[in-house]
Amino acid sequence: MTENIVVTSGKGGVGKTTTSASIAVGLAKRGKKVAVIDFDVGLRNLDLIMGCERRVVYDFVNVIHNECTLKQALIKDKRYETLYVLAASQTRDKDALTQDGVQRVLEELAADGFDFVVCDSPAGIEKGAFLAMYFADRAIVVVNPEVSSVRDSDRILGLLSSKTRRAEAGNSKVQEHLLLTRYNPSRVATGDMMSISDVEEILGIKVVGVIPESEGVLAASNSGVPVILDEASSAGQAYDDAVARLLGDERALRFTEAPKKGFFSRVFGG
Amino acid sequence: MRATIAAAEPILELKFGQVGIANLRLNLNDPAALRDEIEQKVAAAPQLFARAPVILDLSRLPQLPDAAEAQALLDAIRAGGMLPVGLSYSTTENELLAKELGVPLLAKFRAVYEKQNADEAVASIAPAPAPSRPKAVPKAEAEPARAPAATVSGQRHDKAVRSGQQVYARGRDLIVNAMVGNGAEVIADGSIHIYGRLSGRALAGAQGDASARIYCMDFQAELISIAGRYRVFEDLPKELRGKPVQAWLDGEKLLIEALVP
Repeated sequence: MTENIVVTSGKGGVGKTTTSASIAVGLAKRGKKVAVIDFDVGLRNLDLIMGCERRVVYDFVNVIHNECTLKQALIKDKRYETLYVLAASQTRDKDALTQDGVQRVLEELAADGFDFVVCDSPAGIEKGAFLAMYFADRAIVVVNPEVSSVRDSDRILGLLSSKTRRAEAGNSKVQEHLLLTRYNPSRVATGDMMSISDVEEILGIKVVGVIPESEGVLAASNSGVPVILDEASSAGQAYDDAVARLLGDERALRFTEAPKKGFFSRVFGG
Repeated sequence: MRATIAAAEPILELKFGQVGIANLRLNLNDPAALRDEIEQKVAAAPQLFARAPVILDLSRLPQLPDAAEAQALLDAIRAGGMLPVGLSYSTTENELLAKELGVPLLAKFRAVYEKQNADEAVASIAPAPAPSRPKAVPKAEAEPARAPAATVSGQRHDKAVRSGQQVYARGRDLIVNAMVGNGAEVIADGSIHIYGRLSGRALAGAQGDASARIYCMDFQAELISIAGRYRVFEDLPKELRGKPVQAWLDGEKLLIEALVP
């Protein structure tokens, strides 16, 4: 049974692609067979974050237009042999994706025995985002602790419960998970940033993970190594926790409290 | 006696004219389904389609059918109610196929690009020819099918080609006086000359001209292709990175070498 997971947010720049890459790696690390698909046609990034940008020959749009086989377009990850990347096309626009085509690709992946297909949605609520979420079984809604991101996520949650195949069938719903990223406990403590409970309360669902703002994320992105593989970074560990929770483990939230100030910083400020 | 009469009055006249003809592009090699679809089309608009002459375009098929398969397709078209008169999409393999079938090859149908607005300098045109048809390549001994005429000068492009943009020079060389960024694509039916950095993709000989070459001043390409033979550069060879290079086809092999001044 293949599960389609869409990583979506509405708003741009909140960490969808970073999340897609880390979730996909986290699942593959646990032995699952995973494909991660970039739906952001025209602004592809996932291949960069996954570190396979120089190995892209065929892309998702080529497969949809029957210009190559799915097998030719799937890029095998060098770290985990059960992990595959399907890159977006950089030279097309989002209209190059069709619902039939996306469905065909997802069905083919299911027939190939994939456990999870992670769909990295583009920002916005246009065609690309719609197609990324349409066939989802689960959704990871990525949200930053600030009002505009929260509002956009609210909109996306509304679409997930109405504009998806599961919603249209009427007998099941997309399982929703909230992932809070760029969380900075110190700024929450000073009241600059919305807290976990603020966000949970507005959106009415619990978080599946909280990713602290971390320097590791930028460094990881720039080097093409998903941050979950940076085990020294708090963000990497938090993503690993989130993947464990997605698979049903119970883990307490970490990195959500402001670090206690030590004696020196209390005396000298800090 | 007879010969003199024949010489005086030829029994035939050859005249050239232009006629409209439909290009039937096939997405799947399935004669039965093809026949059904054609029957439906003919039934839907008999005045337009019944006994309509069509050119069969095999460029979309992942693999060129052999003569028997192609004959089955032609028969299916005929059985469906249209009249196939030839093949389109010009590659050397296809030319051989047309010869075997005894039908003409209409090279003018540029299957991949014709319908697109490819004259636009930066157009969103169809698939990168190399990746989509890596097999459609003339053999070394074949004459280049469409070597551009000597009077056609190259298409010049003076602006940087940025990520996501494509520049296509149809039927001629392409000269880029700027950089070609990562994720950008420059395509020409002839050769490609880049007086700047090539960080994206360059595809020369897009219609099968194996004599096309690629030249660039600063080589950092993601992919280069000539007449469908392509190479991807996951790691750039140290002796080529950042160097002025040229690339050409030697038989089946795509070679790259630093240009020595």
